[in-house]
Amino acid sequence: MTTRTAHATAPTPPTAAPARSAVPGTPWFEFKQTLQPWTRVVLGIVGAALFLGAWQIAGTSDGVPRALFPPPTDVGRALWRLFAEQHFAADVWASFVRIMLSFGLAAVIALPLGMLMGAFAGVAAVLNPLLAGFRYLPATAFIPLFLMWLGAGEEQKIALLLVGVVFFLITLLMDNTLAVRTELIETARTLGANRRQILWSIVLPASLPAYLDTLRQMLAVGWTYLVVAEIVATTDGIGAMMMRAKRFVHVDEIMAGIVIIGVLGVACDGAFRLARHVAFPYLRYQR
Amino acid sequence: MMLPLEAAALARGRPVGDPDFLHFSRVCKDYPLRGGQTLRAIDDVSFSVTEREVCVLLGPSGCGKSTLLRMAAGLDRPSVGEIALAGERVTGPSRDRGMVFQSYTSFPWLTVRQNVEFGLRMNGDSLALKEGTADYFLERVKLEPFQDAYPEQLSGGMRQRVALARALANYPKLLLMDEPFGALDAETRWQMQELLLDVVSKDAMTVLIVTHDIDEALFLGDRIVFLSRHPGRVREILQPPFKQGGRLTTKEALYDAPGYHDIEKHVMRMMREEGAGAPH
Ligand SMILES: Nc1ncnc2c1ncn2[C@@H]1O[C@H](COP(=O)(O)OP(=O)(O)OP(=O)(O)O)[C@@H](O)[C@H]1O
Ligand SMILES: [Mg+2]
Repeated sequence: MTTRTAHATAPTPPTAAPARSAVPGTPWFEFKQTLQPWTRVVLGIVGAALFLGAWQIAGTSDGVPRALFPPPTDVGRALWRLFAEQHFAADVWASFVRIMLSFGLAAVIALPLGMLMGAFAGVAAVLNPLLAGFRYLPATAFIPLFLMWLGAGEEQKIALLLVGVVFFLITLLMDNTLAVRTELIETARTLGANRRQILWSIVLPASLPAYLDTLRQMLAVGWTYLVVAEIVATTDGIGAMMMRAKRFVHVDEIMAGIVIIGVLGVACDGAFRLARHVAFPYLRYQR
Repeated sequence: MMLPLEAAALARGRPVGDPDFLHFSRVCKDYPLRGGQTLRAIDDVSFSVTEREVCVLLGPSGCGKSTLLRMAAGLDRPSVGEIALAGERVTGPSRDRGMVFQSYTSFPWLTVRQNVEFGLRMNGDSLALKEGTADYFLERVKLEPFQDAYPEQLSGGMRQRVALARALANYPKLLLMDEPFGALDAETRWQMQELLLDVVSKDAMTVLIVTHDIDEALFLGDRIVFLSRHPGRVREILQPPFKQGGRLTTKEALYDAPGYHDIEKHVMRMMREEGAGAPH
């Protein structure tokens, strides 16, 4: 009995103590901290759970009209209904195809232009003022034009989604290319590489990781134009479903649409991150 | 690459070969300033580097060492005068003149081996690739165990060794180095100096190297071109007397060399004079 008490109250060695308590709250607010993967996952879930919990409490509290501000549980039920009874999967697929087609087209246009503009000042000088102008035009301003030129079909939606991202994409890819270190290009020149070789063997591989990050971020912008594109004379797609739901004041279904867009966005983001990890193994060692 | 006779001559003493292998002839460089004025960074610089020689460009900061080296590489053009290598006027960069920069220039997306092979691939030199040129130079700079690593996994000294092997694997006629060890700590620095001297001596390379470290200049240089500042001019060309019997192999040998302290003091005094009252 006495020995046990002695053990329990034995002072901890002075060397061990400071490491733990020198800075209160150290594990939370440490600069440039690297977290364990599972810690990141848990923290991400906690963040989402806090948001959903707050929303649930707000949505179920007295005095809040449930039909206009449904809690997450109602939205979940609406999602189930949509998929099980209203062929929502077809809508999601239609939207997904639209995004991928338009974004793929935007990337095919923007990648060569951005790379050439970043590599050669002359190309940038010709195109920059023009593109800067286009960047400031809201994509929605093109809707009437596209309706007249392309009709109300698929082409018009693809065109709108394309215009929404392509000008930003070109400019950002140009900036990525400009960031290639001059010394790398000069080293290649002193090793006997010619212009074409420098473009393909230095400028392109040096910019590729940044290109991928830019594409990832602009794809998110592409998703934000989706609903706008699908509001105009459309019968399928996530946006079209949301417009139908609005007509019948099915707020839970509108929110379900928003949730699905968010989930798809996060999935695309994850796919890009995975691609980056796989395609550029050398970046894992970056300090 | 080298005839046995020449190797023997090099081992015995001073480098032999074309005394005007690399020749700067009345070179000036003007940089434009705002308001139509120009800044003369280099003024009427003439000197020669003998074939197979290690020549050091020494001088205070801002005297135009990098400018001269970049012009020799063909990355910049002289405003007046001309530079010739083996009698041929330098008009642009080429594989004849390999360059190692102060900043790390390993291509991060390539492994160490791929970095070393880069020049040969660009020049379509499949014969040299097959013959194991990369292996030879990887071994020379002691990077064989790291040949499949990426540059980001290496220390600063190792990355400069990659840059050195990459430049040498291309078989340039001239190796240009701009403060290649400037970013390294003291110990790595002298290890690299010894390694560099060993590598270029074995392959009888002609080297033009920039530094503002007096010890480095005295240790490496068969010839030291001291530049004055603003505008950069050749102030003095020294050939350390203690190198007459051959190159040094260790840093200690430098400190024991007869006359080392006198020449160091002399260079130190020039450094101080050029540095004093300078606008930078
Ligand atoms: N692109 C440029 N435009 C204008 N002035 C320049 C340019 N490059 C160099 N200079 C000027 O030329 C002079 C020599 O520069 P340089 O970089 O060759 O010096 P340095 O001897 O290599 O100096 P350091 O030891 O600091 O590297 C400096 O006064 C610098 O300001
Ligand atoms: Mg310099």
